[in-house]
Amino acid sequence: MNEAMLLLFIGILFLLFIAILFYPEKGLLEIFKKSRYANQKVLLEDALKFLYDCEYNNIPCTLNSIAGNLNISADTAAEIVSKLQNMGLLNANRDFLLLTSEGKSYALRIIRVHRLYEKFLADETSMNEKEWHKAAEEVEHKLSDEEVNKLAAQIGNPVFDPHGDPIPTSKGEIPEKAGKHLNEMEPGEMATIIHIEDEPHTIYSQIVAEGLYAGMQVRMIESNEKRVKFEANGEECILSPLIAKSITVGPIKLEKPVEGKLKTLSSLKVGEKGIVLGIAKSLRGQQRRRLMDLGIVPGTEIEAELESISGDPVAYRVRGTTVALRKNQSEKIYLVKEEEKN
Amino acid sequence: MNEMMNKRESIIAEANRLRWELGENFHDTLMQNIYEHATEIEKKAVKYPDAKEVFSFDRTLDKILTSKFLGFPIMFLMLGVVFWLTIQGANYPSGLLSNLLVDTIHPALKTFALNFDLPWWLSGVLIDGAYLAMAWVVSVMLPPMAIFFPLYTLLEDFGYLPRVAFNLDPLYKKVGAHGRQALTMAMGFGCNAAGVIATRVIDSPRERLIAIITNNFSLCNGRWPTQILIATVFIGSAVPAYLAGIVSAAAVVFIALLGIAFSLIVSWFLSRTLLKGEASAFSLELPPYRPPRIFQTLYTSLIDRTIFVLWRAVVFAIPAGMLIWLVANVSIDGISIANHFIQYVNPIAFVFGLNGVIFLAYIIAIPANEIVIPTILMLTVANLGIQGVGAGSGVMFELESASDVATILQSGGWTLLTAINLMLFSLLHNPCSTTIFTIYKETKSWKWTLVSTFLPIAMGLTVTFFVTQIWRLLTN
Repeated sequence: MNEAMLLLFIGILFLLFIAILFYPEKGLLEIFKKSRYANQKVLLEDALKFLYDCEYNNIPCTLNSIAGNLNISADTAAEIVSKLQNMGLLNANRDFLLLTSEGKSYALRIIRVHRLYEKFLADETSMNEKEWHKAAEEVEHKLSDEEVNKLAAQIGNPVFDPHGDPIPTSKGEIPEKAGKHLNEMEPGEMATIIHIEDEPHTIYSQIVAEGLYAGMQVRMIESNEKRVKFEANGEECILSPLIAKSITVGPIKLEKPVEGKLKTLSSLKVGEKGIVLGIAKSLRGQQRRRLMDLGIVPGTEIEAELESISGDPVAYRVRGTTVALRKNQSEKIYLVKEEEKN
Repeated sequence: MNEMMNKRESIIAEANRLRWELGENFHDTLMQNIYEHATEIEKKAVKYPDAKEVFSFDRTLDKILTSKFLGFPIMFLMLGVVFWLTIQGANYPSGLLSNLLVDTIHPALKTFALNFDLPWWLSGVLIDGAYLAMAWVVSVMLPPMAIFFPLYTLLEDFGYLPRVAFNLDPLYKKVGAHGRQALTMAMGFGCNAAGVIATRVIDSPRERLIAIITNNFSLCNGRWPTQILIATVFIGSAVPAYLAGIVSAAAVVFIALLGIAFSLIVSWFLSRTLLKGEASAFSLELPPYRPPRIFQTLYTSLIDRTIFVLWRAVVFAIPAGMLIWLVANVSIDGISIANHFIQYVNPIAFVFGLNGVIFLAYIIAIPANEIVIPTILMLTVANLGIQGVGAGSGVMFELESASDVATILQSGGWTLLTAINLMLFSLLHNPCSTTIFTIYKETKSWKWTLVSTFLPIAMGLTVTFFVTQIWRLLTN
């Protein structure tokens, strides 16, 4: 074997080594980080969070359900429960487990970090919404009180996370649970989605894939044991009852109810005009602020003015200026066409 | 006192409770109300003159500039004209400045130093080192920038450049970048430091970082002469004489296109890995066409861009010039530092198909790509101890005739492979110190400054390494 061949071989091996080390999510570096994170403190805090969730939703909590939720053996779960008891965070009755007030405030602190961080990711980064939960699960165990309050101040002390859950205050206050599950709605009833449960992940990603989000208006068509059929912002949607249970709805607030399928800005042809009805909730944070800064708010007249060579982006005329938007934005802006207005 | 505190606490608690009741949408509602009020006031207070005609002219022009058939040809024509004007127009003033600063003032300063009996090392460091590097940078950098920047600003001012971004956006969307990156890349062909400053037009943080990090892949004004010289000397002479011109020009264009390809690939890579989570918000305003204000444009582009960039380059060139002179003149055990380094690094450089001189030149000529070739020539001559060429140890020089360059470099052990690798490495190496400093100023982050510095080096070494090994496999 000659020298060049050998070097070439070594070079390819070296590149492979770098790739294995730094590959996102599956690389050795990432695996090493993750293994360091799965420790006792994390398990204890996750158990507390789960216990609090059960109490909030009035579901009895058992050792088995803890083991199932945290993906650990029943023995480990028992160990954790007895540890929590020793720390004075948990009262164990014969039948079910109850948090002490210290336990509750500890759990609320973790939940506060989790929801604040999800809100931060949703508004200030462009991380995919399926990844928020996982990232927040890691961060919630790491931030100090001071860092959390700083984060909250930085994003304007929000009171709801992107799934519609209330964020506990720094004093540990949280409002009473409101609303009901989607599958409990009567046919013909209208409501707003106020919360989408982000656990388990498989169900959450199915809901996201359907394009559903907190803030959408829904009208129930039919709900039985086999399927739940409803309209969400005018588009028909069918879910299994199991999945529909992860969606909580509440009464319609603020906005007027919307009838029928909505037109989107992307459906305007060059020269057509429309009146903006609103921007979809899934456009968040900076993107949403930018659009509103440009004057794209309900009631604004907007006209498609110019198509680029490939048809995307399209330039729109808004309040005397011309702004080009990409299709993935314009299909999330709802409007009525000019000729249909009257 | 206590009562006051209690009252305050209860008010805060009540406010918190009310915020939950308010729901999530109140910011939106607030904003909508502000706009409604503003519209009402505007309707009462503002009268518009009849501006319909101007507007329809805008629309017609827009239709032409973004049309399927004419959009791209017009764009290439415009860019071609700008580059042609820059390269042709810069030749003469560059020669003039070089004549004045390098060929006239430099010898005059040397005579002056001799007359005043300045120690040789002092005049070496100050005149051959600091002054010469500065003079070189000014004479090669100033004219092209003074032509390119105003032309670019005129097109920008007129409103044409946002339409280019509009047309090219789909391409950039695919790699996770912003259409305006096309403009900052075009600016980068003039000067990377100015290109990095130009990324301010990209208002989305993530896309802006992508544009900053990849700007270095636009072959800047300081690297074109290197590419042209090496292509003429080595690639042109490797083919029959009647093809020499075409082939060497094609090689340079290929390198520039390779740079564009790399900038797109790296954008794609960054937007999916390192920069995945950074915030992003797209919008691209298409301002109305305006008759360009020529004098104002000339003034602002000269002050804001040309002088600004030149000043930074000069500031960095002075210490680097001293360093260049010192490494060639300070000796340890009778051998200069430069020669020590070159001997030490040669075996490593050989693996990448380069040589120690090139590595050293790229390290000490970091202030400006323009002085890389003069430094390489000086180091090669000093290293081999060639007599009668150049102006002495540590003094950078250039040669009028390409064949003289070829003779020197070939006696320094250069082959066609070295030349190809130098062209690749000239495209893929760290940005000049002016650009690095500008990146830091713009991002205010060491992390991204280091990424934009070392990522291209890693890529350059990888590419030259594989080209070298494959070349040696095929030619053995």
